[in-house]
Amino acid sequence: MMDLEEIKNSAQKEWENIDSLESLEQWRIKFLSRKSELSQFFNNLKNTPLKERKEKGKKANEIRAFLNEIYQQKKNKLLDNSYSQKEIDITRPGVKIEIGHLHPLTLITRDLVKTFEKLGFEIVLGEEIETEYYNFDALRIPENHPARDMWDTFWIKSKGKNPVYTDEQKSKLLLRTHTSPMQIHYMETHKPPFRIIVPGRCFRFEATDPHHDFQFHQIEGLVVDNNINLANFKQLINEVLNEIFEQNIIVRFRPSYFPFVTPGLEVDIKLNNEWLEVMGAGMVHPDLFKKVGYSQNKYQGFAFGLGIERIAMVKYNINDIRLFFNSDLRFLKQFS
Amino acid sequence: MKFSYFWLKDLINFKQSPDKLANLLTLFFAETNISFVNKRPILEVDLLPNRFVDGSSHLGLAREIGAILNKKFNYPQIKVKEGKEDIKDYLIVNNKSKNCRLYTSRVIFNVEVKPSPKWVQERLIDCGLRPINNVVDATNYIMLLTGQPLHVFDFDKVSSNKLNKKEIIIRQAQDNETITTLDNKTYNLTKNVLLICDSNKPLAIAGIKGGVSAEVTPQTRRIIIESANFDPYNIRQTSRAINLRTDASVRFEHDIPFELTFYALELVSNLIQELAGGEILKGVIATRKEKLKKIGFKISESECQKFLGINISLKEIKNKLDLLGFQIKKEKKKEKSIFITTPFIRNDLKIKEDIIGEIGRLIGFNNIKPQRIIAELKIPEKNDIWDFTNKLTDWMKTFGFTEVKNYSLISLKDKNYYSNQDKIIDLSNPLSENFSSIRADLLIGLFHNIELNYRFFDEVKIFEIGNVYNWENDKIKENILLSSVWAQKKNNKEEELYYCAKGIIETLFNVLNIQEKDYEIQKIKNGYRIVLIKNKDKEIGRLFYLDDETKKNFSLEGSIVAFTFNVLMLKLITGKIQYRELPLYPPVLRDISLVIDKKTSIGEIIKNIKGVSSLLESLELFDVYEGKNIPNNKKSLSFHLIFRSSSKTLSSKEVDEEITKIITILQQLGAEIR
Repeated sequence: MMDLEEIKNSAQKEWENIDSLESLEQWRIKFLSRKSELSQFFNNLKNTPLKERKEKGKKANEIRAFLNEIYQQKKNKLLDNSYSQKEIDITRPGVKIEIGHLHPLTLITRDLVKTFEKLGFEIVLGEEIETEYYNFDALRIPENHPARDMWDTFWIKSKGKNPVYTDEQKSKLLLRTHTSPMQIHYMETHKPPFRIIVPGRCFRFEATDPHHDFQFHQIEGLVVDNNINLANFKQLINEVLNEIFEQNIIVRFRPSYFPFVTPGLEVDIKLNNEWLEVMGAGMVHPDLFKKVGYSQNKYQGFAFGLGIERIAMVKYNINDIRLFFNSDLRFLKQFS
Repeated sequence: MKFSYFWLKDLINFKQSPDKLANLLTLFFAETNISFVNKRPILEVDLLPNRFVDGSSHLGLAREIGAILNKKFNYPQIKVKEGKEDIKDYLIVNNKSKNCRLYTSRVIFNVEVKPSPKWVQERLIDCGLRPINNVVDATNYIMLLTGQPLHVFDFDKVSSNKLNKKEIIIRQAQDNETITTLDNKTYNLTKNVLLICDSNKPLAIAGIKGGVSAEVTPQTRRIIIESANFDPYNIRQTSRAINLRTDASVRFEHDIPFELTFYALELVSNLIQELAGGEILKGVIATRKEKLKKIGFKISESECQKFLGINISLKEIKNKLDLLGFQIKKEKKKEKSIFITTPFIRNDLKIKEDIIGEIGRLIGFNNIKPQRIIAELKIPEKNDIWDFTNKLTDWMKTFGFTEVKNYSLISLKDKNYYSNQDKIIDLSNPLSENFSSIRADLLIGLFHNIELNYRFFDEVKIFEIGNVYNWENDKIKENILLSSVWAQKKNNKEEELYYCAKGIIETLFNVLNIQEKDYEIQKIKNGYRIVLIKNKDKEIGRLFYLDDETKKNFSLEGSIVAFTFNVLMLKLITGKIQYRELPLYPPVLRDISLVIDKKTSIGEIIKNIKGVSSLLESLELFDVYEGKNIPNNKKSLSFHLIFRSSSKTLSSKEVDEEITKIITILQQLGAEIR
């Protein structure tokens, strides 16, 4: 019967020469299995006088722990060696997976819509061709009023007979200059309370440059109930902007004017120490409620229009608005 | 609009630096920037259209600044020193048009026309106007101060009537009447233009520009001052028609109140006397005396709180309104409300909400504490079209296509590609020929995209989902389309790409749970179209490859396939996910290879195989071969066949019987089994 110290020494000596998983397994059987001398030592421990038993048992346990540890150590090392023998060059580039890309405006619009959906907003869609009535008159922008100058308009060339609409809508056709006509369309068929957003494409008759394009996208918002106030608008917009930009955005509210709201507001955000206009807004003008047949003095609400291109440009650091519509894959492939 | 910082400072004393002031105005009034003229600071205020009348004046801006700084500013009141001679003995005004709502006039004799003093000249220059002489400068000065455009005529150049009085006639122009304005331009007029005339010639285009015929010159000794009020719509129409916008016309377009007209006449008479001397004749000629009734409103504390969402006291409301020049007529302490009238200069305040908005503005929209909406919790109504287009977009991306967004406007040249040009919607005022019509499909845009991207890529896989429009029986018809192109510059085998695209469509149909029974495929040139089975004219979509002519038209090369779907139509045939029970019995797999005439369509073969065996669960074509070892007019096809019964495990014998049936039917089609 070997002495404990001898077991340890011979095991360690043999261990040092092991160079394969097979010989390591043999070593394990010899020194750590149930048939090993160490196991037998434990088996015989009960025959040892009580006085020695405690001390020897402790020592044997220490040796067993030690052998287990060097066993694992060697095993890991041998496994590592065997993997590297498969000759994988971990520095070689992987095989390319071809993927498609979503348009940056789609990404931003979805972000915004998702945020509003979480807040219980309904999504409403409108047509890009509108009548003068819905785009202007119903929104308190009469012909020959200086306020019309705020919206340079593409007009549709009428075809043969003019299209016939219902009396109120018997007006010229145009490419909508904003998504606001949907405020009237929606309210004509729905009663408060409601919260809606209208994402959509709009057009302005203006020359293009890096900051302006004749085509752009907006998200219109309209919230009406009997108690919706200006402080509610501020809270909502703060939350939405923080969510979109994934940080605490510094927001500024200042006076503005749109005939279909009173008072009118402009919302700016501060980025890189500069104020950027991101939306126009205000409390819905009571004339609109009257126009769609709501009972008077019953409802209050706010409306806002958010420029999607502007948000995308800020978020992705894009410096030319025309890139959105040039369909250059070198640009588009940067977004997923 | 430009404002002189020092002028404002003279009107209402403040300590704020130009930058500080600009910042305050931006937050409380309108966006303001600073510039300099000869080191004198200028405030450039981007006036809001509703605040033009009061805001386009130094007095109006001074009141705003005062209100922001909690300092009340009152418009100065003056009394004109009149002479003994009565204006009525020298001048009559004959208003013949409703487009002139009010005409007021004073006459000054013995003026000395010369250059203005430096302080007047500097203020005009600061505000972007050119000094001319003291009399003309005085009218411009008072316009900048009050917002009321003014004009002066040389008394002696105006013709007299039979009673030997000067007569000002206000009338509409005759067609083809002409006038030469102060800048020596001649305008051809129409009936719609309002003129200020004497009995034989026009003196000015009312509210827009003076004429040379009664111009004030250094020789002028006697003058007629005009302070008038014209119909804003008429001024706007005229200004547009003759393409002439002036400081005066822009102000008149915004509907000036009568009070301002009377007020400015007094200020300008006084200033001319100060700068040019002379005696102001006694009295004012005015075509009407009455001022408009002031509008009154009842405003309560609770209404303000409800609308703005803030805690505000009646005291504070009163303070804010007072600063803005409102008059508080009555106060009801019990119900915490006041009755007020608006300042005459504010023509933008028409309803109660406008006034509550003013209170909010002066508190500072920034200073209103945000508050969460309290509302019913309910799931909003679903927008199926929005959801479906998003789903399509995601699948197209998954299939490796990149989304583009093209312009909705197409060029005159592109319009020519449409076979039915009558249906194309044109703009009546296009920016240019490059963007003159509205797109009626998405493919033309995508074809152009291929050309652009071929410069940098050999393969272009793109798609767009968008709205298109066309005329349909004199009405606008909107369609939402999904269109896609797949182009390979260096591949000349269109059919390879075609089958790949077909695979994408089949996969798309599969993921949308579209059943074969809901649509039908019809052959067209270079491809097929898919129609609704219920209504065979309704096209859901089509797939085709581009022929050489189309490629030439769009300067394209290589292989190009395109497909397009009507999104709503496609949505109509999508199905729901339905779980089918997992099979209880194992499948039996067999392969079969055959050689058959090239002309026999694969669809026909599959249909026959499926038709003859009831135990065939599915089949898959895994090889198509033509060429070596196969006769010229033949092709070789290989199928995996999967047999399964839902009620038992199939025996080899049972499957053999099925195979025999299939072989028999294939032989009838002329196939040779290998």
